Formats: sequence, structure tokens, C-alpha cells
Amino acid sequence: MDIDLLFKIAAIGILVAVLHQVLVRAGREDQAMMTTLAGLIIVLTMVIKEISTLFNTVRTMFGL
Amino acid sequence: MEFGIIALIIIIILKQYKPEFSVYVSIIAGIIIIFLIMDKLYGIINLLLNISNKTGTGSEFIGILLKITGIAILTEFAVSICKDSGENAIASKIDLGGKIIIISISIPIITALLEMLLTMLS
Repeated sequence: MDIDLLFKIAAIGILVAVLHQVLVRAGREDQAMMTTLAGLIIVLTMVIKEISTLFNTVRTMFGL
Repeated sequence: MEFGIIALIIIIILKQYKPEFSVYVSIIAGIIIIFLIMDKLYGIINLLLNISNKTGTGSEFIGILLKITGIAILTEFAVSICKDSGENAIASKIDLGGKIIIISISIPIITALLEMLLTMLS
């Protein structure tokens, strides 16, 4: 729960962008779209995990 | 504060290549900053609870007040993210939902206040 999470997401984003360009240049648009979706889903699961920890801490702290 | 600036730089870089990742980075930056504030908040809450226990009057209202602040923090978190990504309609719906929940939670306080007024008047 600190700064490396941000860097992880930035790295995945840039990696997906590069992969997308490479695959598009290689003429495989569908696989390019697949890698973009895969990158999005990976980042989404990480973000959802963090959001659930946030909600749990706020709930336990404020007695909700 | 430094987390916010680092996240801002990352978002600017990411926006050129993949705009959809910038939303995730802003969410994670918000969560990290809230977690940094959490321990200070915890101290404040304990202080409030101790004071209310000492005085003994209206200790259940302190619980409701804490609930309301918790809900306010979470709804504001969601509203600002929706506004950032340009979804003002969803942001206003979340805001509305938060307000209604806060009102529904604060009903005991309102009834207690009215009863106090009635007893004073009669």
C-alpha cells in the first residue's frame, strides 16, 4: 500500500501501449486488442483489491 | 503530498499512450493518500470517544456522528473520481445517495431533539 503500486500500474499501462503498437504494426489488430483488455483487467483487479481494503478500513474505523 | 505529485506525473505520461489507465492511477493515488491520513484520523476518533465516554451524555450521538463522517468521506471519494473521469451525472447520483443515507442515519438525533423541545415547551 505505497508508491510501488502506482509504478506497477504505470508500467503495465506503458507495456500494454507498446505491445499494442507492436502488434498493430505486425498486422494482428485482434491480438493487440486482446493484450489491451488483458492489461486493463489485471490493473482492474489490483485497483478493486485496494478499494475493498479502503472500504473495510473505513468501515471498521467509523463503526459503519 | 509527494504521492499526489508523483501520481500526477505518472498520469500525464500515461495520458498520451493509454487514457484509460490514468483513471486507475488517480484512484490508487486517492486511496494511498487516504491511508496516509487514516492513522491521524484514528487518533482523533479515539479522542472523541474518550471525551464522550467521560461526559457520558449523548454518547450514542457520537457514534452516529462518526458514521456520518465515514459516509461523507467515502461518497466524496467516489464523487471526485466520477467528476475526474467526466461522469457528472453519476457523481450527482452518488452524492444524492450519500445524502439520503446520512439523513436516514441521523433520524434518531432529530427525534431526540424534537422530544427535548416538546418537553421544554410543555
